[in-house]
Amino acid sequence: MQLGPGVRRLLRLPGREAVEGEVDAELAFHVESRVEELVRAGAAPQAARAQALREFGDLPAARAELTALSRARAGRARRAQWWDALGQDVRFALRATWRQPGFAAVTIATLALGIGANAAIFSVVDAVLLRALPYPEPHRLVSVWPDGAAMPGIFKILRDEATTFTPAGYSIEYEVSVTGGGEPARLTALDVTAEFFPVLGARAALGRLFAPRDDEPGRDRVAVISHALWRQRFGSDSAVVGRMIVVDGIPRTVIGVAPRDFRFPSPRGELWIPAPFDPAHVGKYWGSSHLRLLGRLRPGAERGAARAEAAALIDRGRSAFPWRMPDAWGTGIDVVPLQARVVGGVGPTLLVLLGAVGVVLLIACVNVANLFLGRAAGREREIAIRAAIGAGRGRVVRQLLTESLVLAAAGAAAGLALAGWTLRALVELLPPEVPRVTEIGVDGRVLAFTTVLAVATGLAFGLAPALRASRPDLRAALASGGRTGTGERRRLSEVLVVAQVALAVVLVASAGLLLKSFWRLRGETLGFRQEQVVVAEVPVPAFASDTTPRARAFFLDVLERVRAFPDVRAAAFASEVPFGGRGSTRSSFAAFVEAHPTAPGEAGPMLVNTVVTPEFFDALDVPLRRGRTFTAADRAGATLVGVVDEHTARRLWPTEEALGQRVRRIWRDNDWITIVGVVGDVKRDSLSSAGETVIYLPLAQEPFDFVASMFAVVRTEARPAVLAPRLQAAVAAVDANVPVAGVAPLERLVAESAARPRFTALLLAAFAGLALALGAVGIYGVISYAVARRTREIGVRVALGAGTGDVLRMVLREGGTLAAAGLVVGLLAALAAGRAMSGLLYGVAPGDPAVLMSVAAVLGAVALAASLVPARRAAAVDPLVAMRAE
Amino acid sequence: MAADELELLQGTLDVLILKTLTWGPRHGYAVARWIHETSDEALQVEDRALYVALHRLEARAWVEAEWGLSENNRKAKYYRLTTKGRRQLQAETARWTRYATAVFKILQAA
Repeated sequence: MQLGPGVRRLLRLPGREAVEGEVDAELAFHVESRVEELVRAGAAPQAARAQALREFGDLPAARAELTALSRARAGRARRAQWWDALGQDVRFALRATWRQPGFAAVTIATLALGIGANAAIFSVVDAVLLRALPYPEPHRLVSVWPDGAAMPGIFKILRDEATTFTPAGYSIEYEVSVTGGGEPARLTALDVTAEFFPVLGARAALGRLFAPRDDEPGRDRVAVISHALWRQRFGSDSAVVGRMIVVDGIPRTVIGVAPRDFRFPSPRGELWIPAPFDPAHVGKYWGSSHLRLLGRLRPGAERGAARAEAAALIDRGRSAFPWRMPDAWGTGIDVVPLQARVVGGVGPTLLVLLGAVGVVLLIACVNVANLFLGRAAGREREIAIRAAIGAGRGRVVRQLLTESLVLAAAGAAAGLALAGWTLRALVELLPPEVPRVTEIGVDGRVLAFTTVLAVATGLAFGLAPALRASRPDLRAALASGGRTGTGERRRLSEVLVVAQVALAVVLVASAGLLLKSFWRLRGETLGFRQEQVVVAEVPVPAFASDTTPRARAFFLDVLERVRAFPDVRAAAFASEVPFGGRGSTRSSFAAFVEAHPTAPGEAGPMLVNTVVTPEFFDALDVPLRRGRTFTAADRAGATLVGVVDEHTARRLWPTEEALGQRVRRIWRDNDWITIVGVVGDVKRDSLSSAGETVIYLPLAQEPFDFVASMFAVVRTEARPAVLAPRLQAAVAAVDANVPVAGVAPLERLVAESAARPRFTALLLAAFAGLALALGAVGIYGVISYAVARRTREIGVRVALGAGTGDVLRMVLREGGTLAAAGLVVGLLAALAAGRAMSGLLYGVAPGDPAVLMSVAAVLGAVALAASLVPARRAAAVDPLVAMRAE
Repeated sequence: MAADELELLQGTLDVLILKTLTWGPRHGYAVARWIHETSDEALQVEDRALYVALHRLEARAWVEAEWGLSENNRKAKYYRLTTKGRRQLQAETARWTRYATAVFKILQAA
């Protein structure tokens, strides 16, 4: 810039404080110039200065304004520079990546696998565990007495007297027969108390939902239907409000439709019915504990207060019973957040999966870090030159980090696509009891998580190599042409390999423990033969409940017809089928054993009772140990008889023979049941369930009080598809209004119950396989690099007479020590992981030696193989070539 | 300030400064004197406004600034017209001329 003749240029002042100095200098110059001019015109210096200042005006204000302007401009310039540099870094990173497509591809693929797996699992964990329940103020919702359930009588006490929370009750889902509004159908229904919908805060999609007092006798012939049911069965007709439907023989008016995504306690509920409260029916009012409790905390109340109040009220309710309850009943009442209850037992499994997938990502990061270290070695020269030109260390580090982050971003994008693609399949594989499955998807929270993960990953594998690479010994790097392997870099690389092996050990060991667990479960004896058995659900026909003889006659009639089918070996009805799952209602009663009367205040034995027809034990091939099973002689009016299993016989009569003993229901003083037979133990639902005390009672003698359906158990060679229509025809021939549902081979039901452990084990095995593959690749890479570095040394040794075996041994020793170190660390960590997971293990100790030893063997073999390839290449090196190599 | 000296209309200060700088780089004081003299002492620029204007013009890259030494060896900040500034000056001059002509026409109408 030409400033004019005689004007010399000065260097610009740098820095922020300099801005103020500049402004001062400029203004001072102005004032001084004016003063000079006035003095030249003849004024006195003092007067001139005063006049000049006066003429200028408000000097401080001017200075302030100018300073502000300059500062703002300087700030803008700095920010623009920063963005510029960033853009430069990103462009450079992209170019560098493009130049080495192989490296980039491997890195991005590795990261995509690691990040993608994490995104997928996080989607599941987020929807099931983390996200708040979709109701207003969900943190005020609690589950009261999560391990138990209340009788209607107890619930009434809570409803009338609780002040810290508003209680509501709901039963488990069960199936009902519904006619009216379409074909007769089996629907999933729930009994709920009147406060159920208000407590959850749901709003009706149409009509209204239950309000207080809707469950009073006389007003409770109403029902609420689900949104899906409204769409499918009633065609979204708005005139459905006020329609009459018949539910299990009882006419009810539909008063409203539940909101579209109302899914409590599960998405299966189609019909909500007011829970019956009938004090006159003592057995049900005080004896049937079927109401699970939830509540909403009142404003100002906290869980602790609610817990105290609930415990006190329930304890007080003890005296309202018409008989004495065991002292242990109603203790240990807890109030927990509803979300915890909804999630149930699935939490630990999901957390284990999250941990596993995190380990996979760590292994992937270690792999990529090693790749970066290797690549940085080759770039020493370039970086040294850049530093020599004047790029500060910070700038170089930032440059290298940008490369890492760009790769991480690409990996995350690919991983997210992978996750979205596989998520549907993953959800299909989930065990059936996982709640909130419909809410799983890739949404904003998952995106945010993936972004954070990508950044963390990029920093994790990029930071150390960047810091390391930005500090080379300039002169040495420039002189040697950039191929020195500093000792530090090699050590870091080695540490990374040890870490990789350790992580892989942990994952493979955990997978091994779970697989062994699952195997144990599968091997458990069921106590019955599951092959060639078909079960189906046949509901009790819609008669009034006091026509038990007609209900009995119905089932016996159907049974006759089914037994007449050509390929049926045995057929029976039972109130519960092993592994029957959700459809079956489990009945149990408090029993009084004649030979061992329970003292007042003690808890008497609870007997689960299954009502069966005589051929039940044949149909399932349950072995008879002693005595006999039921015959046609055991009918109404004859002596009441029962059959127990061995476990129950030992529990109730530890010192004497069970045959001939008598038990009764605790509230029926005269109805003694005589034990006539002892059969083998049968697993009832999950493979891991402990034995319960069970009594089998004949259909011909049992009332139909609490049973809603009976299950047909048919041993037949025919396939379910063939049997189903015949069964339906047989049932329809007796009563055309009764639908048959749930026809399935027993084998499938048993397999489904093992779904959760199988899912966990298989998924973890998949992750472990991935970890092994990544680990092998990592070890291979590091050993290869180490060998390449020592090419010269190897050449010299060979020239001096070392044989192939010696070279192999040398290389393998290097790989071997690393793997061994990794194994030791990994086994210790695996022990800790096993202990953390012990809740999921069945029949396997966390430190199971067989599993740990096989893991060590497998990983040792993998490490050996991964080292062998570079080792053999090294041994085949021509010494002359090697010695000339750089 | 004499009573008959005109106060500057807003926005015209910028165009006057730009015009002043067409004669070569000047420091702030010189610009002030030049405007005063060339207008036959009719225009007196408030100094604070002048410097704010100069800084603003610099921010918009219509002028460039650099420190140098003045005739009497004092440090002074010199401002120079940039290409962008020159273009801006042309545009503003044209606009000003049109504006003045239009106003004049109306005022002259009898």
